[in-house]
Amino acid sequence: MRDDPLLGLVMVFVPFSLISIGGGASIIAGMENQVVTARGWLNAQQFLELFAISRAAPGPGVMLATLVGWKLAGWLGAIVASLALFVPSSLLCYTVFRVSNAHRDKRWHRAMREGLAPVGTGLIIAGVISIFGLMGTWQAGTIAVAAAGVLSFLPRVPTLVIISIGGMASLMIYNF
Amino acid sequence: MRPMPRDAPLRPASLAGLFLVCLKIGLLSFGGGLSGWLYREFVEQKRWIDADDFTSSLAISQMLPGANVINLVVCMGEQLRGPAGAVAGAFGFLIGPFFAAIGLSVLIDSIANVGPLEAALAGVAAAATGLLIVICWHGVRRASRHLPGLAVVLAVAVTVGVLDWPLMAVVAVAAPVSIALSWNRAGKPDA
Repeated sequence: MRDDPLLGLVMVFVPFSLISIGGGASIIAGMENQVVTARGWLNAQQFLELFAISRAAPGPGVMLATLVGWKLAGWLGAIVASLALFVPSSLLCYTVFRVSNAHRDKRWHRAMREGLAPVGTGLIIAGVISIFGLMGTWQAGTIAVAAAGVLSFLPRVPTLVIISIGGMASLMIYNF
Repeated sequence: MRPMPRDAPLRPASLAGLFLVCLKIGLLSFGGGLSGWLYREFVEQKRWIDADDFTSSLAISQMLPGANVINLVVCMGEQLRGPAGAVAGAFGFLIGPFFAAIGLSVLIDSIANVGPLEAALAGVAAAATGLLIVICWHGVRRASRHLPGLAVVLAVAVTVGVLDWPLMAVVAVAAPVSIALSWNRAGKPDA
C-alpha cells in the first residue's frame, strides 16, 4: 500500500492542513518540498503551472492541493486531496470557535492571537522565497514586485486585472 | 440589494440561503479581499451576523491553520445554523472553485502550443506572488511594533524559506515560543 497515490495524498495534506497558519500560502514551501523534491510526484515546471492555475482560478489559494490530487489520481485524487486539506483545519476551527468564543477577552486568547500572527507571516515569506526559487528569472521578479507595488498604491484595482496584466506582460516578453 | 441600516434587527438564515451566498462568493472570489466580501454579505446586506461577532470570528479564523475564508465561513455557519450551517457554508464555498480549478487545468492541458501558455502562466504566477508580497509586507509591519514578533517572522522565514528546514518542526517550536513572547503584552489592558 506504500505506493497508493490516494494514501500518499492523505499523508501529505492532512498534516499540512493542521499547520497552515495564515492560510494556504503558508504551506506552499512545504508542499513544493514534498510534492516535487521528496516524493517526485511532479517536476518543478508542473508544480509552478499548477500554482499559477490555482491563483488564476477563483477560490482560496489552497486549491493548489486539489490540482495536485487531480494530476496524480484524477477525480478521486482531487476529492481526496481537497478533503484532506480542508476537513482537519475546518474541524479544528469549528471546535476552537465553540470552545473559545466565551473567552474572547481572556489573556491566553490574546497571547495566542498575537503570538501566532508572526509565525504565519514568516511562513508566507518562506513561500514567496520558494516560489521565486522555482521561477528563477529576473522578469518574474520584476512582474511580482510591480504587482505588489500596484496593489499597495492602487488598492481599488481588481486583483483579476493585475493577475491578467502579469500574464500578458510575460507573454509579451516571451514573444519579443 | 440595498444595504440595511446598521441597527436593523438581525435576520435568521436558512441553510439553503447560507449555501447559496457562499457558492456565489466562492465562484466570484478571484485573488483576495474575500473577508471584505463576506462582511458585506453577512453583516450589511443579509443582516445575519452583527459586526462584533464577525470581527471576533475573523480573528479566530486568522490565527488558526486553514484557509482564512473557509474558517470564517465555518465559524459564521456554526453561529447561524450549528454544525449543518458550518458544513453548508464551507461546502458551498468550495464546490465552485473545485470545478473551476480542474476545468481551467483541463482547458490548459488541451492547448497544443504550450510555449506561449507557459509564459503567460509564469507571468500569472509572478503577479500572484506579488499579492503574497503585499500580505508579507503588512504582516511585517504589524510584527515590527513588537521586536520579538519581528524576530519570529525572520527566524521562520529564514529557516523554512532559505535553509529548507522542515516546516512542521519549525512551527512546532516557533508557535509556542512566539505565544510565550506575547504573554506579557497580552496582559496589558490596551496592548
